[in-house]
Amino acid sequence: MKLGVLSADRPLVWMLPLIAMLVAFTIIPLFYNIWLSFHEYAPFKRRLEFVGWENWRLLFSDVRMWEALWTTMFYFGVVLTVELVLGMAIALLLDAEEFGFGVLRTVLTMTLVVPPAIVGMMFLLIEDPEFGVLTFVLDSLGILDKSTPILATGSTALWGVMLADIWQWTPFMVLIFLAGLRSLPPEPYEAAMLDGASPVMTFRRITLPLMSKVIAVAVLIRGIDVFRMFDYVFVMTSGGPGTSTYTLSLYSWQQTFSFIKWGYGATLSLFTLVIILVIANLFIWLAKVRW
Amino acid sequence: MKDSDKKLYRAKIVDDYVRGKMSRRNFLRNAAALGLGAGVLGAGMMRPQPVFAQNSLEPSKEDLDWVREVSAPFRGTTLRLATESTPPSNAINSQLKQYFEEASGMTVEIEVLPLEQVLQKLTLDIASQLGTYDLYYIDQSWAAFTSRDVFDPREQLADKPDLAMPGWAVEDFLPALVDGIARYEDRLVGVPYDIPIFIMQYRKDIYDKMGFTAPVTLEEYYEQAKAITDEMGPEMYGATGQMKSGHYSLECDWTAWLWGHGGSIFDSNGKFAGNDDAGLEAMEYWTRLWKTMPPGVTGWTWDGQGQSVAQGVAASMMSWGEFFPYFDDPSATKVSGLMEAARCPQPKHALRTVEQTGFGEIPGVGHQGGSSLAVSRNSKNPDPAWIFMQWATSYDTQVLITALGGGTGPTREAVYDDPRIIANRRVGAGTTRHLDVVRDTIAMDMGSEPDLPEWAELANDTIPVRLGKYFAGEYGSAKEAMDDIAQATDAIVSG
Repeated sequence: MKLGVLSADRPLVWMLPLIAMLVAFTIIPLFYNIWLSFHEYAPFKRRLEFVGWENWRLLFSDVRMWEALWTTMFYFGVVLTVELVLGMAIALLLDAEEFGFGVLRTVLTMTLVVPPAIVGMMFLLIEDPEFGVLTFVLDSLGILDKSTPILATGSTALWGVMLADIWQWTPFMVLIFLAGLRSLPPEPYEAAMLDGASPVMTFRRITLPLMSKVIAVAVLIRGIDVFRMFDYVFVMTSGGPGTSTYTLSLYSWQQTFSFIKWGYGATLSLFTLVIILVIANLFIWLAKVRW
Repeated sequence: MKDSDKKLYRAKIVDDYVRGKMSRRNFLRNAAALGLGAGVLGAGMMRPQPVFAQNSLEPSKEDLDWVREVSAPFRGTTLRLATESTPPSNAINSQLKQYFEEASGMTVEIEVLPLEQVLQKLTLDIASQLGTYDLYYIDQSWAAFTSRDVFDPREQLADKPDLAMPGWAVEDFLPALVDGIARYEDRLVGVPYDIPIFIMQYRKDIYDKMGFTAPVTLEEYYEQAKAITDEMGPEMYGATGQMKSGHYSLECDWTAWLWGHGGSIFDSNGKFAGNDDAGLEAMEYWTRLWKTMPPGVTGWTWDGQGQSVAQGVAASMMSWGEFFPYFDDPSATKVSGLMEAARCPQPKHALRTVEQTGFGEIPGVGHQGGSSLAVSRNSKNPDPAWIFMQWATSYDTQVLITALGGGTGPTREAVYDDPRIIANRRVGAGTTRHLDVVRDTIAMDMGSEPDLPEWAELANDTIPVRLGKYFAGEYGSAKEAMDDIAQATDAIVSG
């Protein structure tokens, strides 16, 4: 059958809609963002003015930016590590055909369908110093008393936000790891059992190496997501107390939309993009991920 | 019956009685069952008379006839407004705009948002000049930077006499509010639309139990708050606040204590003055008062502050008067009929004069957070928007807003004396029994923030972020915190 330009040996034609969308929604905005980073909006003149490298110079001398970067990196490191370890542990536990485990695996997906802003609101209440259940538990255990509100204390606020993230996204890691575990060949495990390998040794010598690609992909996807986290801090702390939970995304948003510093906001978001690209590519190289 | 249930029930039967839903005989029978004497009739009520029937609160026929007449060429137009969730906007959106829409043939779309989101929508609309919104809800702290983007209502009146609402005049609005909310240099940034203002609100039952009366001085306020917290904490705290780091509400609280100690945000040279002796004395006072508040206070904006009183956690607050009618609502709070309003405690030191401050700042313990309503210069429908604006801020609409919308403070002097408003001075939802205090506060205690284009950034970020850091213990002292604010503020102001 002749299809003319729509024949199967002309893949470019089939890809055109996707390419068009990519150009319209990714490539053009990216170049516009780069152009914008060399301009700044002048409120009284109501127009963008060319400022050269001024926004980039400001970026590197901006104390708030460095604070936000440090907060983001810290958040990134802790959240990703906890979600990775916890996600793998739960996946290993659920990787069995026990009664009820199928339901549990289904239940795990439920946190993923809740919008992050709603999760933020939930944890805002859970961590409320007056009636929050977490505050009550910590107070009862003598770990943190009510006079130290979790989200309004500099030393605990970021941990309070991290909790929401970990609660919502650990199941995502579990599901990916579970899918990986279920696709592993049974032969190496049978051989290990015959050789008398302990469960820990089996995990270290067989499961981890076989799962390395799956783990790398999960970490990469979550890592990019965690680095640009916005919703939780916006809802739960607005960056406070002080600047202790200001992430790069929140700071970019504030500069762009609250103070109409479009040029500086664009510079901050480009800087965030560069960091994500560097970290992601470094990770891909180190983890030897092949696409 | 538990004591709290008793109070709740008492508030409910009082409310039903004054609304005319319960006969005097039934009321007295119920009151007697609670062990209350006939004296309860007067408890918390300035006028224990049955009030108007709700159906008597209909918009003026004359006003709607005028709307119908002048709107004829604009039928089918859609007007858009983004506003904070305040009593006037809620009343117009939920109950009153239907009358305007029916008469005018226009559609009014009102987006009710948190204040910071209104600011974003407004600034984006101004910057893009798209005219997405026909009317701007302008918090007084944004007046300076929006002044060139809205019509001065005096110009609209002069330029469009055929669209002028009969009897609508800028002079009818409280002059103090016009100056404090809607004036920037020689321009009017719309007209005053609402007037949340700091008044003293306290639990009369607890104050009576402790042998206190409404505090007259700031020091007395602290002593009372401390005594209540010491005696009743942690179930009940003497005071509460709106102290969320990085939020505008924290800046609002700060100014009340600053002005109340004879300080000011700026000096006459336009330099930050919150770090001078008066400013540091205010910080010392505030830090002490903070210890008498619930532990969660540093995570609350005005919503949390109001809730802490409404749910019976805090006994007093110096805050927005528009909370008072909400506190009186027995279906929403635990304190209906238990609250009283009073003027704020008097300043410890003499207030600075406007000449001693900068950028038109007006010191006063009664911090006002009013807003104006104005027609955007970017609007594609400025004339229809102007018609709506006049109707929304007219005398009759303000009466209805105040009566139906929850007892918010009117911005027109005459509305305070309207019989429909006076009739609503009873315990219950939407009471107006606090409005005399509001009017006195506007006249005698009102404090207004400075007007400068950078103020939105200073009030919403620079100052409250650093104050938040101070209360989170990230500075060694109040002096260090205020010096840091001074440095950051002066750098922004000097450009």
